[in-house]
Amino acid sequence: MTNKNSAPCVELRGVVKKFSGLVAVDHVDLKVEQGKVFSLLGPSGCGKTTTLRLVAGLEMLDEGDILIDGEVINDVPAYNRDCSTVFQTLALFPHMTVEGNIAYGLERRKVDKAEIKVRIGEMVELMGLGGMEKRHPAQLSGGQRQRVALARSLVLRPKILLLDEPLASLDRKLRKEMQVELKRIQREVGITFLYVTHDQKVALSISDIIAVMANGKLEQIGSARDIYETPKTKLIADFMGASNIFPGKARDKAGKNVEIETESGLKIIALKGKDKDGNSKEITGVSVHPELIGISHKGTDVKVGNKFEGKIVEMIYQGDFIETKVVIGRTGEQITANLGSEFGQETQFSPGEEVVVYWNPASSNILLG
Amino acid sequence: METKNITSKILPVSAILVYLFLWLPTIVLVVLSFSNNKFGIKWEGFTLRWYADIINNVGIRNALKMSLTVALVTVVLSTIIGTLTAYGLYKYKFHGKKFLRTSILLPITVPYVVTGGALLVFFTRVVNIPLGYPSIIIAHVTFSAPLATFVVLGRMGRIDWTLEEASADLGANVLTTWRKVTLPVLLPAIIASAALIFPWSFDDFTITYFVCGIGTTTLPIYVFSQLRYGATSVINTIGTIFVVLPVIGLLLMNLLQKKKVS
Amino acid sequence: MSSSKSVGLREKAAKFLSDQVYLPYVGPISIWILLFVFAPLGVVLYFSFLRVGPFGQILNSFTLEHYRLMLKPTYIQVFMRTFVFSFGTNIICLLIGYPLAYFIVRCGGKWKTFLMFLVIVPSWTCYLIRLYALKTLTGNGGLINEALLNLGLISSPLNILYTPFAVVLGLVFGFLPFMVLPIYASLEGLDPSLLEASEDLGATPLKRFFTVTLPLTKGGILAGTILVFIPSLGEWLVPMLLGGAKVMMAGNLIEEQYIKLGNIPAGSSIAVVLTTIVVLIIYLSVKMGGEEVLERMM
Repeated sequence: MTNKNSAPCVELRGVVKKFSGLVAVDHVDLKVEQGKVFSLLGPSGCGKTTTLRLVAGLEMLDEGDILIDGEVINDVPAYNRDCSTVFQTLALFPHMTVEGNIAYGLERRKVDKAEIKVRIGEMVELMGLGGMEKRHPAQLSGGQRQRVALARSLVLRPKILLLDEPLASLDRKLRKEMQVELKRIQREVGITFLYVTHDQKVALSISDIIAVMANGKLEQIGSARDIYETPKTKLIADFMGASNIFPGKARDKAGKNVEIETESGLKIIALKGKDKDGNSKEITGVSVHPELIGISHKGTDVKVGNKFEGKIVEMIYQGDFIETKVVIGRTGEQITANLGSEFGQETQFSPGEEVVVYWNPASSNILLG
Repeated sequence: METKNITSKILPVSAILVYLFLWLPTIVLVVLSFSNNKFGIKWEGFTLRWYADIINNVGIRNALKMSLTVALVTVVLSTIIGTLTAYGLYKYKFHGKKFLRTSILLPITVPYVVTGGALLVFFTRVVNIPLGYPSIIIAHVTFSAPLATFVVLGRMGRIDWTLEEASADLGANVLTTWRKVTLPVLLPAIIASAALIFPWSFDDFTITYFVCGIGTTTLPIYVFSQLRYGATSVINTIGTIFVVLPVIGLLLMNLLQKKKVS
Repeated sequence: MSSSKSVGLREKAAKFLSDQVYLPYVGPISIWILLFVFAPLGVVLYFSFLRVGPFGQILNSFTLEHYRLMLKPTYIQVFMRTFVFSFGTNIICLLIGYPLAYFIVRCGGKWKTFLMFLVIVPSWTCYLIRLYALKTLTGNGGLINEALLNLGLISSPLNILYTPFAVVLGLVFGFLPFMVLPIYASLEGLDPSLLEASEDLGATPLKRFFTVTLPLTKGGILAGTILVFIPSLGEWLVPMLLGGAKVMMAGNLIEEQYIKLGNIPAGSSIAVVLTTIVVLIIYLSVKMGGEEVLERMM
């Protein structure tokens, strides 16, 4: 918020990268603001890692410009770029100690010995690596190695830190801890992060801005909340875990609501305000997150825009919620609702039961072409 | 990654020079084997005379027979001993295992000239083993059984041994398990060691030289005896065969491996 | 009481037998090594302390004269030369072999296999023949001299053969593949992301090589050294063919005594000294971590 006048930390303008004829990154434009966590999210092979490697200088681009702090750096070799990468494999030097690893970049920059010592000390403290200085990577736990990799990059105080799925190798619990830790460190040092991941949960929890990539192209850029609640296309909706996706066409655009009819004739109401791009693109369907859908016993009078009668076909216990699948009687669509298990809802319903599923029009998200 | 410095130009040039160094003598040898020059050191027109010569040469034919026999027996003996040893070392813990391992390394590490000389002294002065087939084969196995051991041992770590346990679990006795499970599983390793030992035994000069005695000899020893009469074109011809055979062998092995992979 | 005791004995005997299941496997090699390695080496050690009679027969009386003879300057010179040549060969092989292996790995793909093939094949062809080929090529009437003469670069043939240069050339020629192979393997096993990390952290290609690539391929260098330096110490064919009587190495002394002069005790004492040196060096390199490296290569 404080840097409205300054140039973005990193900017990509029409960047293209081809590998033996195949386009890996296809005219990507993006701006990463100073001090933010910017995530590139997408399935594997979507070009997100290549984009990151282009910024790092580990790949050379074919078209377009990459700017750091407003300066074009297309031809600057990786070793002269003011950015630093945390690799997916971490790539810690196995023949060096923790200290040696952290000092490596500083030594290349010819920082004097005393200064290196001070800065290693700071990093060790920030990362909670006290007592590990003389160990080799092989003698560290997964989480510790993670911290060393981070420290090794952060100690250089780069303009931007590039992270390539750095948490992918950790188990679930450790991953959660490190996520929180990453966020804390980012706040403390205030360095811009460009974070590449295929894990939407990680992206949502860590990012200020998320850019979703598919097939080398940027599909949507927005805040975590935007991307999650209002994915623009079917692909993004699917990727963000909206298990209810209904392809369909807009019927009635009068008034403040839009009515969308699916191929099998189900009519779903959505708020028009959600249709951000106005009429520029054609509406192709609706998506609803399963946790926004409610279920009631048949015959209950529900006063919401979208309500359909159906039959429960499956209930899967997932721990913190119950994944409940309902088939709509009239049109045969299957709707998944995640019912919170805290109120003992599993005792209220049972598979085979006739129920009403319902959700607020505001929960319907309009998908565009 | 692009490295835009001089190394990217120096490296290929120096590599070409090294390859030239490694191959030029051999290429010249092969070319001269077709030369009409009697001493085989100059090009004086194309001929196949020398090849016809070696086919008709009884001494060469006998030497070739001996080389092949020695190599074949050596391969069989040393792969059997080596496979058993590797299995024993891999599967069992026993007293003196470390000592045994070090001892097995001994024939590989002691200089050839010492191994050869010591065996010569042993055969002629201590036990009476006739110089010829027996002495050459013993000398070759002494060197190549350890080689087989370590080649097979090296590949044992990559084998899924649960198969063997399953077989024993299903009631097969030791011999059946070996025949039906262990041997088939070890076969690639055994073939690899044989592929290493056969050419070694066929080519060896340095150890054989000491224990061959007089009379019938192996092909490398025959070549050496011809060297004393100065350069002759026959050596070029035999040499060409020595070069061409392993190239064909290696190419075949490469092809077989590729076939297996696909 | 007594019956339970005999049961205990029987059990112990059965347990002993079942504990010896490894014997069928390691028995043959043990016997073989005992008979054809330890016994001959023991005999050599024993003979090296025996006197030689006037007609070359071995007398059963103890002497140290063969060892004392080795203190003669000519012998010491040959041993020194052996060491210097082997060391030099190793250094030259390393200086040539490392860049070559590096180049091959960087070529990648199909080329890599082909180029490695070209390195390996010579080590599979007859050593004697290859050395003979080198000899004809570098000889007075050989191709190299002919070419230089024809080009007018020299007026009379260069004497390459029977010089120290020829011997070292032959050693490098023979042993280079054994240096390239392990270095190639260690370069191949290098994690490419480490190289990227190094570059990313600010290392120029040259710095990257010396701070990451070289230290991480130390194992390959050590293995290559074991495969080149140690066998060159015992080499005798190269000096015999290319060095003649002028440039002998330790191995030639042994061959000379055993075969040409028939003085078994004298040859044995040289063999004992050479073997001791070699074993000592191997022991040291194993201590330095060579064992692990060699085992990984196998």
